[in-house]
This record gives sequence, structure tokens and C-alpha cells, in this order.
Amino acid sequence: MNLEDLKYSFQNLIHRKMRSWLTVLSILIGIMAIYALVSFGLGLQHYMKTLSEEMGADKLFVYSKGTAAPGMDPNFYLTRDDMDFISKIKGVNEITPMYFKAGEIEFGKEKRYNFVIGLDPKDIDFINEGFTIEVYKGRALKEGDIYKVFLGYNYQFEEKPPSFKKAVSLGDKIFINGEKFEVIGFYEEVGNPQDDSQVYITEEAFTRLYPEEKDKFGYIMMSAMPNVDPNELADRITEKLRKFKGQKEGKEDFYVQTLTDMLEIYGNIIGVLSGILALIALISLIVASVNIMNTMYTAVLERTKEIGVMKAIGAKNSDILFVFIFESGFLGAVGGIIGVLLGWCIASLGGFIAKVSGYPILQPVFPWYLTAGCILFAFFAGAIAGVLPAIQASKLKPVEALRYE
Amino acid sequence: MLADYIRFSVGNFKRRKIRSFLTMIGVFIGIAAVVSLIGLGEGLRTAILSQFGFLGVDVLSVQASGISYAGPPGTGAITPLTDDLAEKIEKVSGVEAAINRYLKSGTFEFNDRQTIGSAMSMPEGDRRKIVETMMNIKAEQGRLLKDGDARKVLLGNSFAEEDVFGKGIKAGDSVLLNNIKYEVVGIMEKKGSFLFDYAVLINEETLLQDFGDDGSVNIIGVKVRDPNGIDKVKADVERLLRKERDVKEGEEDFIVESPQKTLETLNSSLFAVQLFVYIIAGISLIVGGIGIMNTMYTAVIERTKEIGIMKSIGAKNSTIFGIFAIESGLLGMVGGIIGIILGLIFAYGLAAAGRAALGVDLIQAHVSMALIFMSLAFSFIVGLVAGVLPAYQASKLQPVEALRQAK
Repeated sequence: MNLEDLKYSFQNLIHRKMRSWLTVLSILIGIMAIYALVSFGLGLQHYMKTLSEEMGADKLFVYSKGTAAPGMDPNFYLTRDDMDFISKIKGVNEITPMYFKAGEIEFGKEKRYNFVIGLDPKDIDFINEGFTIEVYKGRALKEGDIYKVFLGYNYQFEEKPPSFKKAVSLGDKIFINGEKFEVIGFYEEVGNPQDDSQVYITEEAFTRLYPEEKDKFGYIMMSAMPNVDPNELADRITEKLRKFKGQKEGKEDFYVQTLTDMLEIYGNIIGVLSGILALIALISLIVASVNIMNTMYTAVLERTKEIGVMKAIGAKNSDILFVFIFESGFLGAVGGIIGVLLGWCIASLGGFIAKVSGYPILQPVFPWYLTAGCILFAFFAGAIAGVLPAIQASKLKPVEALRYE
Repeated sequence: MLADYIRFSVGNFKRRKIRSFLTMIGVFIGIAAVVSLIGLGEGLRTAILSQFGFLGVDVLSVQASGISYAGPPGTGAITPLTDDLAEKIEKVSGVEAAINRYLKSGTFEFNDRQTIGSAMSMPEGDRRKIVETMMNIKAEQGRLLKDGDARKVLLGNSFAEEDVFGKGIKAGDSVLLNNIKYEVVGIMEKKGSFLFDYAVLINEETLLQDFGDDGSVNIIGVKVRDPNGIDKVKADVERLLRKERDVKEGEEDFIVESPQKTLETLNSSLFAVQLFVYIIAGISLIVGGIGIMNTMYTAVIERTKEIGIMKSIGAKNSTIFGIFAIESGLLGMVGGIIGIILGLIFAYGLAAAGRAALGVDLIQAHVSMALIFMSLAFSFIVGLVAGVLPAYQASKLQPVEALRQAK
């Protein structure tokens, strides 16, 4: 390998402009698609990771089983007794109950249906830590707040779902199931329209709105003591609560989840989905490699005479082999670089669209290894596609090649 | 004329076998990807839609407004429907029957294993017949429910298999529902729909007695006499419910829907997902097209001398254009044919492998004739379009220049 070889490859690419560009175009399309898709998959994984870091891996959740979303099944729920029992289990640190119910939110004569969450205001710091969310505006709920409501981020904007005609501001009055509440604050953005349009009230207010739901929890959130493994604690809670409720193993009507469990499930789903999409996009890269191979075969034919001359003046087989493989790899790399650039544009645009449509958690990330990986991959795809034509070129007999017309 | 073009093209393919073959590989991989993905997607969509296929054109459903993604019908409701409404709806003209359906969640135990699920009510009397016809259910083992069947249950076909409880349930077995002993009177025929195959049906009276009755109904099914008049009946039912529930027009806290509408919504959201996958798969087809274009440019350069000769013995520009365009289209189409065959093998093979591996009937492939012809036509068009520029370049060559330029 020397500089002369590189220069020669490069000049050849310039010479057959149209064909080179078409080949580059075909590879850049595939790289573009892969780059854009994978950047979104990585973005989601990155989001999950930051979430878990902020939330702390010590959080555990006890859910009731049932046929609906937590808290929505009228026949399966967790009770105050369950919670009191769990709070006494060794290793359980802070613990707080969560009420969940569908509610009718009315503002300016318009009605929307969203989740109403009842929480214990004295645990508010623990809850915000568990939700990995902070007060954006106003103040948090505190003890004694009854006709006060704390809202999800989206209520402050008329264009975001739940899209009331008018934006809600601090001090406004909204109706929940017909009862008047004063708005005292907003959470910061979570990043999806469901969470960002929930409303939060105190446990006391909740049991006034839904008297039949008193002490029936959607789920219970708790943290493990420092130095206690949350997964071991989860097993202990499952076993003890099962005995407490008089249920046999495998017949529990509740389940305990640690943050690690939850992240693992989401992480797997995201991984599988982006993998499948990237695989489909990979097909176009295979097609592109075939195109490169084709271009290189043609190049070998066209330049038979040239090869003959090179060999006649002393080029070794390995020199010829290298020239063609490098040329082919170079085609791939150029396609890779342009593909990464375009993929970056597309993914950024996609991220912007997702943000505008209420899903700011769907954001691409562009780590250096993705960029470098894509370009290297394109280079190798090209180089490998060039191997067969290059071998053919290197095996040409100088005399025959010179005679070739 | 066309036959000549084709003969000419085939001759050229033979002359440069490797290149033609490589070009075709590009197209056929693309077509195979498109055919197999569309086939699988279409099969999956049909399978999902068939889950709801029993919903006829003469049925309306009434539900209370609320959060629709909270769980089974009625769970996310704010003001549930009351059980006296059905009787009133039945009096609306054009309504054949209005039937309360209750869904109650509970535990289901058999063979010392337990799951949690929903049981659904079967109405008694004449209405039973209507529901049975509407749902088109038949017993595979035992019999259907009849009036007076207390603590008897009719189960969907999946419970007869081992996966749920480790042992199949047979007619005559006893099961525990919410820790109360029920006798299985029958197992329904397999429908391939989870709504049916995992159904737990109990007579209304027993269900309300054992699972609790709070006077609320999950969903009211309304059968209309004349499907053509369904819109008018819908409006009348809405007017009645506004009056009954004391709400103004535009502020309804209930939804009257024809299942057909629900199906359309589901269909369009499924289609959006499919479209995304098709676009990604379609990209490889575009790449294949670029490959054809590349090959054709090379062919024009290679055959410059030939073109010169043809022109000098009287070939018109249009003839030259036709020769190259057809050749390019054929390249695409032959690639397309191979691609369709491969795509069919992939689609059905993957679907079968998926069913075997996951045991889910939902994974089906469905490759329609329309899809096959479309792909064939599309591959030809891709070839043709890719060939237009090179063919145009060839047709514009000056005969004298062409003869001289060739090496």
C-alpha cells in the first residue's frame, strides 16, 4: 500500500463520474436508513438509562394483578392493610400509596378524560423522586390541600393534548368530576401525552371524589434501605405478602416489580424493535454491495488494458488486488459518509416532529461510535464486494490483458 | 416489433451474464423483501382484524365515556351505564334488541393453577338466541348455556389446550371462579380470535350474583332491524341517552358506535405501521433500480459502436430508445419474478416458523394475487424508469461519432 495506489483509485472514481455516483448513491441510501433508525433506538435506550439513574435503582413497586391498567380493575386492588404490612417488612425504607382513577376534567366548558392520581402529600418528595419529575411552576401539593390540583405539563399549552381551547394557568379553576379545584402548580415535561395530561390531587381530595375507592390503591411505591438488594427485597415482599394475604405460590393477586425489571422489559422491547427495522434497512445495503460488485466487474473489464500495462511495468498481483479493493472500499466509504450526514438530517427532523407532536422522549442520539461504525461498515461492505472483481483483475495475464480490445 | 426488442435484449443478457445476474440480484432482493414483508404484514393485519370480524353491520355498541386505553370496555368509564337503559333503548324504533353485557374480573383456577381474567354475561331468554347468532358460537364439546344454568360456565376453545392450566379443560370438569365451584357445560369451537377463544361465559343471573352487581353495565349491544337504517337508529339512541343521562348535545358522556367504525380506526392505525416498514423495505428496491441504471449506462458505453452501426443502416432514434428501455425493463422484471418466488417462500416459511416457535396463530402470511401482479409490474417499471436516461443517451448518439468513438 502506498500513496500512488490511493491516488490512482481516486482518479479512476473521478473519471467514471456517473457510474461512481450511482454506486455511491445506492450505498448511501442504505446507510442513511440504518443510521437514522439506530439513532432513535439508541436515543430511547439512553432515555431509559438516565431515567433509572435519576430514579435510583432502589425503587420497588407492588401492583395488583387484574385485567386493566393499575387501579382500574374494580375487583383487584391493594389495601391499606397490605401497605401497613409491607412497610413493616425488613429492608423497606420509604413507602407511599398511589390512587388511580379515570376522571372527567372540565375547563372552559370543555371536557376531557384523563387519569386522576391521588397521592399522600407528606411523601411528595419521595414521589417526585420516584416519578423522576420536578415542580415546573407553582408549588407542590401539601397536607391540607383539598380543592387544589397539581397538573401535568401539557395543560399549560392549548396546542398540546389534552388540548383545551385555552391554556390553563396558575390560580385557574378546573372541574374534576364536577368538583371545582384550584390549579396550584405544574409538573415539568415527562415526554408523552398520557403522562403529561394527568392530574394530581391529595389522598384526602381523592377519597372525597371517589368515596368507594378509599384505601384501595392502584399501586404502592417504596424504596429499599441502603445496602439492601432491591431484587432480594422484592422476593421477600412477594413471599411475606403472599402469606399475609393467605395466597398460595403462583396464585398471588399482586406482583412486585423492581426498577431493574421494568427497565429490562422496556430495554428488550426497544432493542428488538430497532433491531428488526435496522435488519430490514440492511437489505438495501446488501443490494448496494451487489451494485458495487457490478461496478467493479465493469471497471476491471474496462481497464483490462491498463492492468496489462501496469503489470508489464512491474506491478505485482497484490498491487493490482489492492488497487481494486481499495477503490471499491472507497466507493463504500464515500457512500457511508454522505449517508451518515443525510441520516443525521433525517433523524433530527424526525426528532423535531416527535417533539412537536407531544413525544419529546423520542429523540435520536448520535454517539461517535454509531457514526464511525456506519462509515467503517460502509467501507468494509464496499471492500468485500470488491474482493472477487479484484481477484479477477489481479489474475490477468499481462500479455493477454495488453492484447485485450 | 416488441418481440424483436425482447429477442435482442435476451441476447444481450447472455453476452454479459455476470453483470446481468448481479443487476438482477439487486432487484430480486428488493422485491423479495417487499413481497415477504407485505405478505406477512397483510396476513397479520387480516388475522388481527378477524379477531373483531364477528361484529356485524347491524350492531351498535353503547359505552360510557372515559379513558379508552384503561382496560376492557367500561373500566375507564367516569359515569358508568346503568342497567335500566337497555330496556329504554329497546323501545327506540328500528331496534330489534338492546342487551346488557357485563364483564367481571376475577380469578380462574383449574389443575391447581390460577389466572386472572374477565367473565362475560350471557343474557337469558330470547336474547340468548340473538347473542348466540350475533357471535355465531357453537359448542365443540358439551353444549351451550341455557336458561336456568346456575354456576355453569361455557369456555372458549383455548382452555381445552394445555397452555393455560397445564392440562386441557373438558366439558363436565369443575373449575373455580373467584373460589366458587362451576361446572363446565361446554367448550366452544375454535375461532382463532382471542376474544372468543379465551371467553368465559356465564349466565347473567349467576354472574351478577357471584361476582357482584353494582347496577352498572360495561357495554350495551344494540341489534338494529335494518342495517341500512343504522345511522338513524344511532341518532335516535343518542337523543334518548342524552335525555336519560341529562347531558346537552356536544357534551355527551357516552359513545354510541358502530363496530364497523372501530374496525376502520384499527385498520388505519395498523396500516400506518405497515406503511413505515414497507417504505424501509422499498428503499432496497430503489437501490436495485439504481443498480439497473448503472448497468444500462455501462451497456450504452460498451455498445456505442453497435448503436452507430444500427443507426447507419437506418434505425430510428425511437428504435434505439426502445431497445434499451425494454432491455432495462426486462432486467427489472426477471429480477421481479425471482424476487416474488423468493418472497413467497420467505413469507410462508417465516410465518410457519413463527407459529411453531411462538405458538401464536396470529402470525399468518397472506400474499394476494394483486400483490404479485403489482410487484411484477412495479419491478418492470423500476427497470424501465432506471433505463430511460441511459436509453435516451443512446438514442441521441450521432451515428458517425458513435462509429468512430468506439474502441
